[in-house]
Amino acid sequence: MVKQAIDRGIEADDMSALLRWSLVIAVVGVVSGVLTGMRRYLAFREARMVEKTLRDRLFAHVQRLHFAYHDEVQAGQLMSRGNTDLQQVQAFVVMIPLTIANGMTVVGVTAILISLDPFLALVALGALPLINVVAKRFGTKLFPSVMAIQRESAELASVVEESVAGVRVVKGFGAQDVLRRRLRTEADDVYDASMEAARTRATFLPALELLPNVGLIAVLFFGGHRVVTEAITLGSLVAFNVYVVLLIWPLRMLGMIIANGQRASAAAGRVAEVLSTDPVIVDRSDARRLGPGGGEIRFEHVEFAYGDGDAAIPVLHDFDLHVEAGTSVALVGATGCGKSTVGRLIPRFYDVVSGRVLVDGCDVRDVRTTELRRSIGLVFEETFLFSDSIGANIAFADPDASIEAVQRAARLAGAHEFIEALDEGYDSIIGERGYSLSGGQRQRIAIARAILADPRVLILDDATSSVDPTKEHEIRDALAEVMAGRTTVVIAHRAATIALADRVVLLDEGRVIAEGTHEGLLETNARYREVLAAVDDSAGDQAEEVTA
Amino acid sequence: MWNGVGVDEDDKLDRSGVTTVLRRSGEFLRPYRRQMAIASVMVVAYTATVLAGPLLVRHGIDEGIKVGDTDVLNQTVVAYIVVAMVAYVVYRVQVVLISRIGESFLRDLRVRVFDHLQKLSMPFYDREKAGVVVSRMTSDIDSLSELVQMGLLMFVSNSLLLFGSIVVLTAVSWKLLVLCLLAVPPVVLASIKFQRESNVAYLDVRDGIGNTLSHLQEGISGVRVVQAFAREDVESTRFERGNRRLYDAHMRSVKISAWYLPVIEIAGTGTTAAAVGIGGWWVHQGDLSIGTVTFFVLTLSNLFEPIQQLSQLFNTVQSAGAGLKKLYELLDTDVDVPERAGAVDLPTGGAIVVSGLGFSYGDGTKVLSGVDLTIAPAERIALVGPTGAGKSTLAKLIARFYDPTEGSVTIGGVDLRDATLASLRRHLAVVPQEGFLFNGTLVDNVRLARPGATDAEVEAAMASIGILDRFDSLPDGLRTEVRERGSRFSAGEKQLVSLARAALADPEILVLDEATSSLDPGTEAVVEDAMEKLSSGRTTIVIAHRLTTAARADRVAVVAAGSLAEVGTHDELIERGGHYAALFSAWAGGQPV
Repeated sequence: MVKQAIDRGIEADDMSALLRWSLVIAVVGVVSGVLTGMRRYLAFREARMVEKTLRDRLFAHVQRLHFAYHDEVQAGQLMSRGNTDLQQVQAFVVMIPLTIANGMTVVGVTAILISLDPFLALVALGALPLINVVAKRFGTKLFPSVMAIQRESAELASVVEESVAGVRVVKGFGAQDVLRRRLRTEADDVYDASMEAARTRATFLPALELLPNVGLIAVLFFGGHRVVTEAITLGSLVAFNVYVVLLIWPLRMLGMIIANGQRASAAAGRVAEVLSTDPVIVDRSDARRLGPGGGEIRFEHVEFAYGDGDAAIPVLHDFDLHVEAGTSVALVGATGCGKSTVGRLIPRFYDVVSGRVLVDGCDVRDVRTTELRRSIGLVFEETFLFSDSIGANIAFADPDASIEAVQRAARLAGAHEFIEALDEGYDSIIGERGYSLSGGQRQRIAIARAILADPRVLILDDATSSVDPTKEHEIRDALAEVMAGRTTVVIAHRAATIALADRVVLLDEGRVIAEGTHEGLLETNARYREVLAAVDDSAGDQAEEVTA
Repeated sequence: MWNGVGVDEDDKLDRSGVTTVLRRSGEFLRPYRRQMAIASVMVVAYTATVLAGPLLVRHGIDEGIKVGDTDVLNQTVVAYIVVAMVAYVVYRVQVVLISRIGESFLRDLRVRVFDHLQKLSMPFYDREKAGVVVSRMTSDIDSLSELVQMGLLMFVSNSLLLFGSIVVLTAVSWKLLVLCLLAVPPVVLASIKFQRESNVAYLDVRDGIGNTLSHLQEGISGVRVVQAFAREDVESTRFERGNRRLYDAHMRSVKISAWYLPVIEIAGTGTTAAAVGIGGWWVHQGDLSIGTVTFFVLTLSNLFEPIQQLSQLFNTVQSAGAGLKKLYELLDTDVDVPERAGAVDLPTGGAIVVSGLGFSYGDGTKVLSGVDLTIAPAERIALVGPTGAGKSTLAKLIARFYDPTEGSVTIGGVDLRDATLASLRRHLAVVPQEGFLFNGTLVDNVRLARPGATDAEVEAAMASIGILDRFDSLPDGLRTEVRERGSRFSAGEKQLVSLARAALADPEILVLDEATSSLDPGTEAVVEDAMEKLSSGRTTIVIAHRLTTAARADRVAVVAAGSLAEVGTHDELIERGGHYAALFSAWAGGQPV
């Protein structure tokens, strides 16, 4: 159109034609501008929708995946599936309409150029495919450098994180210089990786700028001579120039899109891998309700191993246990004896290899998992609290619980007092951006969370280990109250906690080797004394001294 | 445009902030001024070559093609080729130079900030959240590197290109330029509006991303709790709500650029149409040549593209500026525990004398007051008392993690504030409650306490506290790599490594913070045994959480409500029937026999 305006208007000195063509240029500009805006909007809407939907599905799926899966897969890996991988997919999807538009521009412009002057078209376009080649090579060469920068930056960040998290060690031993040297090395590595990427950019970016000029120069030279010999009009020549400029961006983009596409397909593959993993612990189609009962627990000839095939780590062998409704049992044994596993099989976090686990007479595999788990209160060895208010954390199992119920649970767990002492009480936000609580305080909140819904079975996995020994007696009284009349499985190291249970079961290498009361076992069983000895040896002596 | 609406407090830069940032950055860049001068020349040269292209085309058309002079045409083509080649070389050098300056700047900044972080003492780390400190060295500097790697070059060359285009166009035909500049005010207005709106949207998106990611993180790391309480569906629904908010924020930001970009494009084509139409009219009048009009059409893109690109860069520049400001503020943070000029080395074998010692926080909260205590060389003393009574503070003052607000601590007669920090760290080591493992091998972890130590010395240190066999028997022995903060080691094993560090450092004075949480019985015995061996023959101050530990010490000091309540041997204090006796019977009563 610029050609028409110049040829018919300026060259031919026809002012009305000039005006007409100028207006056409302006109108076409407006239309194309609006369409570009819409294309951009629609492309992003689609791409963001894809990203959002996939992230929702990923989250929901991860929530349903069994414990064994989470034991194997690192949290960081799953995080990057839901973060960077999905972003790469999004970045590619958003390019699709643009790619189509660019492809059409390239085809259309080429057709116009050939129709204007096939020879000049060949001259002008001869160098252009090179742009595509160079852009693609640029993408593939830059990618490793960019990854290297990310890797080195991550290493640097981990030195910084360590120096902050371990600041007590650093200050305690005056190890500042060691870390300073470490950081200097990492900073140098980041510098080297960044310069490597800069050199790649320095090689390719100027080439990408230069190549279109080759076409323009060729058009000027050959076209100029053809205008002089009057083979073509001056307007055609100018139009040629404009069209060649039009091609630069689409071609450059194509190279980038190809590189993006490769990365996006790898990312999509990784996301699909997670989504296609089937949860192992699922309800049977004929799953029943958990019948009424007081929480009687029975293990019958249970065999259990973590992992399967050659990698399987056997844990329980022909394991039998019976906990009558309303009674409590303490599981005691050295690390690795399988006592925590027993606690994890009751809510069906894992399925047994053979044998059965029964709660109130129902095989846990036959009942609805949701219902089974809601009737069990559990305190994990490692306390995990959500970044939310303390109240919401305690009411996790039942967000509609009344504040009275929440406070009652907190009181029972010996947490009410310190919560009230906080400025915002139960509304205090905990976690990364909120209050930081001590290990013992966190554990007491976890206990309150477990007993909020008044479960028929309570499982305490080393629930008092982080509680300050001077405060332990307070929580012990609370626990005694919570356990009264409730089926409770206590997994503990400290004798004081063990003694809360009606009965003690001693485990060794995945089997029950002795049962009885704490005092009884202490008297009759050498292995039991051995297991407890290390902690309570001196305490016992001292206590005797005092009482004596 | 610096004071964008909607930028949160943290990211705000006022005028004086800008001045400070520029001045301090200037200081950092001083070593690179020669390279910067060369780079500036390169940038100007490159801009000239970009502008020269259309000029040459005009020359070729007007002086060569139109008048049929093939010589001029050929000369022009040759000149264009030369310009293109020069452009290639200049561009290349410019990218390398600017990257080198920028990356060196970042490297220096990282090293300087980290050095300063290492100098800062415990009060700083108690005040600041760990996440914030780490983000200074990571996200704040990363926001700069984005600018350095792409933005800086774009910023400088686009500004120059914009300026250069205006100059050249003025020279060629100021009348036509004035015409084109009519499009500039709407473009600038649109850019300002875009800038404001996109700033708000950007903060929205950033919040959304932060929330979604932390929710994702919690959902993954807390998955066991979620399943234990059968809350999978509820959590997924909650996540979807947050994710939806992120999507909406994204869409708001897309809508903004969806109207902005067409405006720029329309302004560009509109100006082209005007240039062709009115320029053509002037050609008709004989005021202009066709070549000039062609030249204008080609150069117009040099006018509008930079405006568009610059407006997109503002967010990057602004957040980089804010990041720099925070970094410079960090560098200006004073060291709480400085080394006095003329400080002397601590003498060996001296007693620790605490007299009239008091400490209160900046806000006036008194933690400790009037503590008098003398600890003889090689004596083992246990500090006991309820949580928050001040026993840790007392230990920290003795280790000079803090300086007291009243009274003094002396070792061998030298006030800690008059001693060199290096000699203090040689004389005294602090073993923290939690064993913390760094990335690297076990040997490296122990060696942290004495960087020059040989492997044999590390082994000897571990053997001296009876734990060498335990670690040597691992498949890779002491060369075992510690990964993920030592997740494969138990809490007890981490404490053992911590004790090994102390054994290697071999200090005269040892401050031990006993762990509160209980270990599995087997390890607990080994830890106690190692502590016992480590403390023999050294002045030892142990913050005891177990009264059994206190009972083993030579003397016990009971800290209650910020002052020293009782000092004496275990037996003496039991006999006295005071604080300690009460604590002990409460504790021992809870221990079943």
